[in-house]
Order: sequence, then C-alpha cells, then structure tokens
Amino acid sequence: MTKQIWTAVALAAMAWGAQAAEPIKIGVSGPFTGGSSSMGVSMRDGVRLAADEINKAGGVLGRQIQLVERDDEAKNERGVQIAQELINKEKVAATVGYINTGVALASQRFYQDAKIPVMNNVATGSIVTKQFEAQPENYIFRNAAHDSIQAPMIVEEAITKRGFKKVAILADSTNYGQLGRADLEAALKLKGITPVAVEKFNIKDVDMTAQLLKAKEAGAEAILTYGIGPELAQVANGMTKLGWKVPMIGSWTLSMANYIDNAGPGGEGARMPQTFIQEPTTPKRQSFIINYLKTFNPKNSRIESPVSAAQGYDSVYLLAAAIKQAGSTDGPKIKAALEDLKTPVEGVVTTYNKPFSKADHEAITANIPVMGEVKGQRVVYAYQDDFKKASEVRVKDLNAKGALEQKKRQ
Amino acid sequence: MNLKKLVLGAVAVAALAAFPLASGNPYYIHLVETIMIYAIVLFGLDIVVGYTGQVSLGHAGLFGIGAYTAGVLILKLDAPVYLTIPAAIAVAAVFGAMLALPALRVTGPYLAMVTLAFGTIIQILINEMTFLTEGPMGITLTKPTVFGHQLDETQYYWLVMACLAASLVFVHRVLRSQLGRAFEALRGSPVASDCMGVSVYRYKVYAFVISAALAGLAGSLYAYSEQYISPNTYNFELTVMFLLAIIMGGRKTRTGALLGAAIIVMLPKLLDDLEVFRIGAVVLAVIVAVSVAVGLKRGKLAKQAAAIPVVGSIALAAISFKLQTMTDWRLSIFGLITLFVVYYLQDGIVGFVRNALNLKAKVDAGAGAAPATALTRASSQGEAELLKASGVLMQFGGLKALNNVDLVVQRGSIHGLIGPNGSGKSTMMNVLTGIYQPTAGTVVFAGSTVNGRTSSDIALSGIARTFQNVQLFGEMTALQNVLVGLHHSFSSNLIDVALHLPRYLREDREQRARARALLDFVGLGALAAEEARNLPYGKQRLLEIARALALDPQLLLLDEPAAGLTAPDIKELLEIIRKIRGAGVTVILIEHHMDVVMSLCDRVSVLDFGQKIAEGLPAEVQANEKVIEAYLGGGA
Amino acid sequence: MQILTQLVFSGIALGMIYAVIAFGYQLTFATSDTLNFGQGDALMLGALVGLSLVGWGVNYWMMIPLVCLFGAVQGAVVERIGVRPALKIKSEFGWIMSTIALGIIFKNVAENVWGRDDLKFPSPLPEAPMKFLGANVLPMEVLVIVGAIGMMLAVELFNRKSIYGKAVVATFNDRDAAKLMGINTGLVITFSYALSSLTAAFAGVLIAPLTLTGATMGAVLGLKAFAVAIIGGLTSGMGIIVGGIILGVAETTTGFYLSTGYKDVPGLVLLLIVLAVKPAGLFGKTAIKKV
Repeated sequence: MTKQIWTAVALAAMAWGAQAAEPIKIGVSGPFTGGSSSMGVSMRDGVRLAADEINKAGGVLGRQIQLVERDDEAKNERGVQIAQELINKEKVAATVGYINTGVALASQRFYQDAKIPVMNNVATGSIVTKQFEAQPENYIFRNAAHDSIQAPMIVEEAITKRGFKKVAILADSTNYGQLGRADLEAALKLKGITPVAVEKFNIKDVDMTAQLLKAKEAGAEAILTYGIGPELAQVANGMTKLGWKVPMIGSWTLSMANYIDNAGPGGEGARMPQTFIQEPTTPKRQSFIINYLKTFNPKNSRIESPVSAAQGYDSVYLLAAAIKQAGSTDGPKIKAALEDLKTPVEGVVTTYNKPFSKADHEAITANIPVMGEVKGQRVVYAYQDDFKKASEVRVKDLNAKGALEQKKRQ
Repeated sequence: MNLKKLVLGAVAVAALAAFPLASGNPYYIHLVETIMIYAIVLFGLDIVVGYTGQVSLGHAGLFGIGAYTAGVLILKLDAPVYLTIPAAIAVAAVFGAMLALPALRVTGPYLAMVTLAFGTIIQILINEMTFLTEGPMGITLTKPTVFGHQLDETQYYWLVMACLAASLVFVHRVLRSQLGRAFEALRGSPVASDCMGVSVYRYKVYAFVISAALAGLAGSLYAYSEQYISPNTYNFELTVMFLLAIIMGGRKTRTGALLGAAIIVMLPKLLDDLEVFRIGAVVLAVIVAVSVAVGLKRGKLAKQAAAIPVVGSIALAAISFKLQTMTDWRLSIFGLITLFVVYYLQDGIVGFVRNALNLKAKVDAGAGAAPATALTRASSQGEAELLKASGVLMQFGGLKALNNVDLVVQRGSIHGLIGPNGSGKSTMMNVLTGIYQPTAGTVVFAGSTVNGRTSSDIALSGIARTFQNVQLFGEMTALQNVLVGLHHSFSSNLIDVALHLPRYLREDREQRARARALLDFVGLGALAAEEARNLPYGKQRLLEIARALALDPQLLLLDEPAAGLTAPDIKELLEIIRKIRGAGVTVILIEHHMDVVMSLCDRVSVLDFGQKIAEGLPAEVQANEKVIEAYLGGGA
Repeated sequence: MQILTQLVFSGIALGMIYAVIAFGYQLTFATSDTLNFGQGDALMLGALVGLSLVGWGVNYWMMIPLVCLFGAVQGAVVERIGVRPALKIKSEFGWIMSTIALGIIFKNVAENVWGRDDLKFPSPLPEAPMKFLGANVLPMEVLVIVGAIGMMLAVELFNRKSIYGKAVVATFNDRDAAKLMGINTGLVITFSYALSSLTAAFAGVLIAPLTLTGATMGAVLGLKAFAVAIIGGLTSGMGIIVGGIILGVAETTTGFYLSTGYKDVPGLVLLLIVLAVKPAGLFGKTAIKKV
C-alpha cells in the first residue's frame, strides 16, 4: 500500500516538474584561468550579476536564465571544442563571451553554422563581427569597442595630443596582438607616421630586453602596445631594468589588474581607451559598482577588469531584451530582434537605442570610449574634462568620426 | 578460438560504424572520432614504448607535424585530401628519422630528454614560422572534399574509422613479424640483439619512423576533425597523456591502445561533469573489486598486491564525492593515476584483467611445416686458420685487460680459452664480437678483418656467441628468441609484411620450422611456447646456444656455458657441443669446469692478467706449471 | 658593443641558474643513475613557497634557509615515492614516468594553491641597474651568479671533505660494494635527492625576482638545465658551469639578433648535437659498460 502511495507521489512530482518552465540556456565562454583570466572572470561576474537581476525580476518570457559557463583558457582550440559542446550538447539559445580575439575567430563559425547568436562582450579584433559579412545572415554581434576605434584613439593620444613623432609598436603574437598592430600601423599611416620599430613577443614571455633595446636604439619616444596584462607588465619592468622610461599608450588591456599589480610603480601613467571606468558617474553605474563589489568582493574593492565586467553585464541585458522581443529562443528570431531592438536598453556603458541593424553589428562607436590612465594602482580618467562630463551618457553616434574604415574582408 | 575473436571483432566494427547513425549528435560523433584518432597515435607509440621499451616524450610533436603538414598544404596550396594525408605521413616519417639520429646514440633518460627537446623545438618552430604556419593565430580548415562532395560529420567519421582499421591491421602484422620480434629484442637485451645480427641502431630507427608515420596520419586526420589547429595543442601535457594512455591501457596490446585512448579523451570530460564522474568512479571501484576477488580466488594474486588497486579505486570514488570541482585537479589525477599504474598495474588494465581472469596472450601457433634441418652444414672449405687475432691490446684507462694477445683457431676445432677470473677471457670475446674496439692489434676472421666493424655486422658474417650473464629476450618465448637469431634469413620488407604477401608468408612458415628444429637440437622442443624468463637456468643457457646457432655461424663463441649447470645438464651440454662440431661449426669455449675443457677441447689457450701464458693440448696445459700457479697461487 | 656586453651579462646570469639546476641533476645521477624529471618543478615550488614566506613578512635572507629546508623535504618525498620503488623493481621506465608524474602533480597543486597567474617576487636588492663596462647589470643578477657559484662550491667541499660526502662518492662508484661496506645506500640516495631539490629550490628564489613567479616557470628551465648537464657532462662540475654560460649567452644573443621566439632553440639544438656526437658531454668521461 505504502509503495503505491509513494509511486503516485513520485509520478505527480515528475509531472509537476515537467510543467515548470524550462530555463533559457545561455553559454558563457571565456578564459577563467591563465593570463587573460582577470578579464574572463570579471566578464563572467558581470554576466552573473545581470542574469541574477533578471531572474529575480521574473526571468525572460517567464523562464529563468541558466548560464552554462566554460573556461576556454584563452586557447583557440579550447574555444572550438567548447563551442561544439555548447551548441550540440548543451543546446544553448545564445552565447556571450569571448575575451580573446583568436578564440572568437576560431570558434564563432560553429555558431554561425548553427544559426545561434553570439554577443561578443570583450573581444576587440576588428574583423570579429565581419567574419561572416558576406553571408546573407550574420549571427555575430558585439558590444565592445573594436580595434578600429581603439587604434586611432591610441594614435591620436600619442601623436596629436602628446606630440610624439617617433613611436615603437610592441604587440603579442596572438591574433589579437597582430591584428591590433595592423590597425595601429594603418592609423599611423593616416597621420603620415611610420613606427620606428615594430616588435613581437609571445604569451608567457618574461624578458622583453631585446625588443625594448631595439625600440630604444631606434629613438622611440613612446611605446604603443597591443597585448595582455602579464606581458605588458614585463614591458614596463623591462623598461625599468634598462633605466629607459618612455610613456606606454596602448589598447584597453593596460587596465588589467595583473598589469597594474605586476608592473608596480613602473606601470603608472600608462594610458588606454576605456568604455567604462570604475567611478560612480551615473546612478546606473553607481548601482552596478555597488552591487558588483557587494556580490563578488574583489581585492581592494577594485574590479579586476572594469571594462569586461560592465560589458559582460550589458551583453546579457541586450540578449534578454532581444529574446523578450522575439518571444522565443529560436536563433534566427533572436537575431532579427537584435537587429531591430524596439525598446532602449539602459546599460552600464551606455544606453542602447537601436544598437544594431542588419548591416551594423557594433554597439559601440568612436565617441563612446574615453582615455583612461593608470594612477595610484587604479584606472582613472586621463583627462579631467572627460571626468567632469562623465555623467552625460555617451550614446552611439553613427556619424562619429575617428574610426578606421573597415576594409572589405578578402 | 580464432573464430570467437573474429566474430567479436566483427561485432565491434559494426557497432563502431553504426554509432554515428544511432547517435546523430555531432558532439558525440566528434568525441568518438577523437578517440579513434588518438588510438592511431597510440598504436605507433606502443611500438616505441611497449616494444622497444624506450620512453618518447616527443610524440606530441610528431602528431603536430602531421596536423600542420595537412594544414599548411591546405592553406597555401588548397591541397586535396588524398594529397594531404599521405604527405602528412611522409613528412612525419622523415622527422621521425631525424629524431632517431641523435636517439640512436643514447638510451633511457637520455632518449627521453632528446625526444622532449625535439618536441619542444617542433612546437617553437610551428609557433614562430608564421610565414608558413600562421603561428599562434592558427589555421582554419574544413572537412575534406572527396570527388567534389564535402564530407559531413558522419562520413568523415567513417573515413577515420577506415584509417583506424587499416592502421590496426598494419601494426598487428608488423608486430607479429620479424620486425616486431626485432623491436622486442632491442628492449630485452640490446647487446644480445646486436650480436644476433639485429642492429639496435637500425631497428630503433625503424621503430621510430613507423610510429612517426602513424602519428603523422593521426595528426592530419585530427586537423580535419577539429577544423582548426594551433601550436599550443602539441605540448608536453599531450605527450604525457599519450604515454599515460599506453601504460594504463596496457603495452603490447591493440586493445590496450584503444582503451587508453578512450580513457584520456573521456576522463577530462568526466571530470567536467561531476555527477557522471562520481558514477564512473563507483563503477570502476566495483569492477576492480570483482576482478581482484576473482583473482584472489583463483590464487593468482597475492593479498598485498591486491589490496592497493582496491583501496586506490575506492579512495578515488570517495574523493570525488567530497570535492566540488574536479577539473582544476585534472592533472593531479592524471599524475596519481600514472604513479599508480607504473607500480601496480605494470601491464596496464588489459594486462591486469588478463592476469586476473587467467587469459593467456595468444601465442604464435605455426602449425608444423615440414621439419627442417637445424644446422646447415658450415662450410669446411676455406682457410684452415678460421680466426687469427694478432697482438690484441685492450686498454681501459690505465688497465690493460688484454695485453698483446695472439690467438689462432683452426677451422673445425673446439678451442678452449681458460684462465682465472679477470684474466681477460670475456674481454677477448667482446673484442671478437665487436662489442669492444681493441686499442691495438688486429683480428682476422675467414680472411677479412673484424676489428672496426659493428657487432651486428660481425654476427652476420658468421661469428655467433652466448653470454656469461644470460642475455635472453626475457619476455619473448623460446621460439621467438630463436626466431630473432634467424632474423637474417628474412628478406621480406615492410610492404611484404603489411600486405601479407606470399614471400613473407612463406618465409615465416619456413623459419618457424627451422626454429623448431633448432630447439629440438638442444632438447628444448617441448618448451617452445614458454617465456624465456620462466625457463630454468640450465635450459636458458641451452636456449642461448640454439639462438646463436640460428645465425648459421662458422664460429661459435661459448662463454661459460656450463656455469651453474648440474651434472646431468653438463652431460647434455657436452653432447650438444659435439653435435655442433659435427655440423662443421668451429667453437671457442670459455670454461672453468676443467672436465668439460678436457673432454671437449682440441686445443687450449690460457690467459692470466690479460696475457697468454700457455697454449697447447689440454693435457699439456693442465700440467703446465705457470697455469697451476695462476689458478692456485704461488708455491709455498 | 654596449648591447653585446649587456646580452653577455644577462646570459651569464641566466646560465648560472641553469648550472645550479643542472648541478642537481648531477647529484642524483651520481648516486643512483636516475634523474628527477620534475627538477624544474622543484625550482618552481621553492620560488612559490619563498614568495609566500616573504608575503607573510619573513625577511628575504631569513627565508632562504627555510626554502632550502622545504626543498630538501620535497626531494626526499620524490625519492621515496617515485624513485625508490622503481629502483627496487629495476625499472628504468618506472622512475622516468614517476618523476614526470610527480612533477605534474606538484605543478597542478601549485596552480591550485597559488593560482595560475604569474606573480611578482619582491626583489631584496634595489631594482635600479648598475653600470658595469657600459652595460646595465641588475644587483640581483650579480647575486644570482654569486649564489650559484657559492652553492656549488659548498656542495663540492662537502663531497670532498666530509665523511658523508665520501659516502656519496662511494655509492656513486659502486652501489653494491658501498652497501657491503656498511653504507646505507638507500639513505645516501634519499640524501642526494634532498640535496638536489634543495639546490633547485635555492635557484628558484634566486631567479624569482628577475622573472615572474608562477606555476609554469619550472618546465622549460628544467629542460634547459638538462641540456646544460648533458653539454657539460653529467659527471663534471666545471663542465656545467661552462655549459651554463654557453647556453645562457647563446640564448640572450639569439633572442636579440634573431627573434625572442627562437631563444629556446639554440640550447635544445645544442643538446641534440652533443648527444649525437659526444654523449658523455664536453667534459665528461665515456663510461664503459661491462657485459
């Protein structure tokens, strides 16, 4: 008799369980370990914060968001394997992520083939959103400041604002570094300048003496960088060791915690474009910072990679809005919704008002990022003017000047 | 027996082929595909590690060369698949040969380090030569196109399966042939191998080249499978994974390689998914416990040896329930498993299961062909002085092991070489067989000079020997030991072996018959299928003689053949040596048993402190005062 | 010219580090015919433990003996778990695989305890470079050279002068005879492993301020130190110093004149060449194997 009751209860429970709404799976792919991990972890935490908020408010379409997180270790081939797993095994509706341009470039085509949207929230390589431009439908979106924006900003800062004539480029050997270097060279060319030295280093390299000596011999007045935290720190340390200190101006990764910490005093003064600086300059940003610090409690109350955290947070809200508008988790429908978002999304970086269109998958334009500077072991606004005007949210401006023209991909 | 295996094999193949259709999920198809690709690498690695017994830490590099050959050809030349795969095999084989060149000089940890250095250099080159390989940015590929049709996931899976099957058959045939025996001989005793005419150097190179070719094949298949390659992948961790797979699965078995491949592919996935891992660990603990129980019951396992695997697997299951995330500890788990396997599971899982369930590895049958004559009659034509050593000086640092020794041995005689311990007798043997190069002096055998040639060369020209410390190929059977001696009679090459062409099949049959005859000659016919290391000491010495005779020598050097033998064994030995002389073979005999020397030898030379102090008929020498003094010490 | 001097100095400092690690290989090879494939990881652990100690407020100079002690214990553990059982079953394959496995385990544990990022090791000496013959030399680099030579001299003296040292030499020459003479060869072997890891850990805290400290720092260092040990000869102390200098300078000059990506290549290629041509090393003596 007891047995029958228990069976009935079990069956009922199962039936009830089946009726409860199935969660919406969103993949999160990023480096949570290794040299890029401060970006990956911050991005993931930003994503988690957003997903929690949304779920607490009832979820999307009455369903909870379930994050499926995978560590790609900044390795392209891991990214490929994870993409296949998320698509075929976990059956995600969409994926946010990709910190590293190389990983993004290697992995995205699986999503493209499977017609599942990817919201790149950190990877900045210019061709990331152009990879499938030639195809009728492009499933890759981005809400980060791409290198066609960053490179000219770096060059503007070095050549125009600071007046340097001789600059050297130091870039790492990954897709990110090399594509970024190409962008820098293109931007310099527009100003009629050729770099006096162009040097390369590998991930995990520790000794930058050779590259720095060559730059020094060539008379460089500033070093433009495209790399990630640990190696950039070694560039700074190398300069200290050589007793040759010139300004470092480079891509946004100079804001990484492991650059700042490892470079010590030698890293102070480095400047980089930033979409988000950890200052409570608007109510939205303030509440984001407060919530982030409260939930994740990072060391010294300093977000390891503020840009990654903010953009990660925004990426989830963008996807949520699109899913809600599409009324389903069907890939093509989400994509269509993204390309024609009817209601504005208030994010941390900016307010997204029709951020994407069929031809344009970049949410950030050249007018949005500001120049940041490493000061007192934190990232601050490099220019006081920017800081004063920071409460004005800069929104996407299709006519914004300064970006490199995107060449048609061969 | 054979039918059962065939049926099992057919079922397995059918299941494997049907899998993609049954599953339909590209993720799982890709997973099994990766297992198959790794298995191909492991077949090759097993030859080097399992058979020749050397640790290679560079196979990830060879795997990478295969992948990148395919990748670069596609990137630069848009090459089709029927070009890229053979190219990958060829290029990897060439690199394997290049690796073998420094390798030939060293063994053991040196070889391991050489291969490690090689693997590291390969990874660096792939990373840096961006003009060719795109460096860290990697190369993107698509599935291959065959006759204008691009293969989809399932069809490519079948292509990989076909390659796996071909590799399996190839490796199986090679390892059962004289090549396989040569590889095993290298490992059992390099010195003996050289002296049996199997040049250690040459066969090490063959082993490496074959395994490199297989790694190259697997690499190219891998590139198509992943559709993206980058230099990071082919690192030390991957090479250790491969080694772990071999020793965990089991050396010298194909099943072991397949099992090992499955383990190293599935384990990280298992660790990712904690729930499944816990279930898996519990299942494993149960299997181990059951196998151990069965083994104990049948009396095959000692209690202590049995406890450790059981405790280990239970501990693993327990830990898995305690930790929240296993992925971070993945490498530690691999390390612990390696330690465990190296000490307690030396034959791998397959070996363990076989032992526990008392399944013997299939021994070569080789049904009776026509019984052959054991010894071909050695030529009685030719110089009367078969061996002439003049003024041989062998100096080690300040020690003169041989000091200006002359030795002349007449064809068809039994020549004794005696002297107290340390007088230089074995040194003389080593000089005669090319193990040592004499510091000065010449050795002429059948009209041509011997000193300066390699041991295997000398062996093939007609000098065979046995060893003072028995140097058999322990893990091989008696029959296989003799077959190694008969290696020189095989003229079939790799193609003949791989395709089982008639020439090979005929040679195999004939030589097995000859080997049997040789075993019968020394009275070991009944023990043909027994592993050499399991034979009693006396029989081992006889086996060494049989193996030496397989070389069809004109001169046979016996180094203390009667040492450690009982009286009846010695009688048998005397008979055999006489029969050998009867067949026309000249014998040089080092011995301490005076009765043996007296009854057999036609002439005796005596050495003391590296110098010849007497020579002549046995009776003369026995009465010689200097000889007595050397053995017994000075007079009162 | 100035650049070349710079590169040579950096190369010598680097080479000294390789020599100290190579020295460790010699120690264990001398007594047991085995090598610790995880030697680089012993260095890594020494550096990380040192980093933690310094982080807890221990003075750098006080920290050194503590790290040496840790290294000795770690070496003994490796010998007990990895090498002794293999020697017992006379399996060459055994100790190769087990020292590799232990190295992997140590690295993974280090990754989990200290994290996968590379960390900065505070330098005990001022970080400003000194001028020497027109080149910039860091005080730390000088310390490395002094420390490395000092350590090797200390061990050599120990070997020659003390009775324990003689026991080590005896075990090297003939293990069985030494056993018969009452020398506890097992203890000698354990001791040599302890000493070998001690020197590696010491090398770790010497080199840590010059590079970044992290779980992966040991791997390539271990391999290159092996190259030095081979080039110099596994039996000659002078040889490894010469070999270390050759390798260090080759590396820094290749890194500059060719490309930093290739800087590891000359050492490895040199290793292959030496093994192909003179396996006993430039200074070593060829051993004769008795059959």
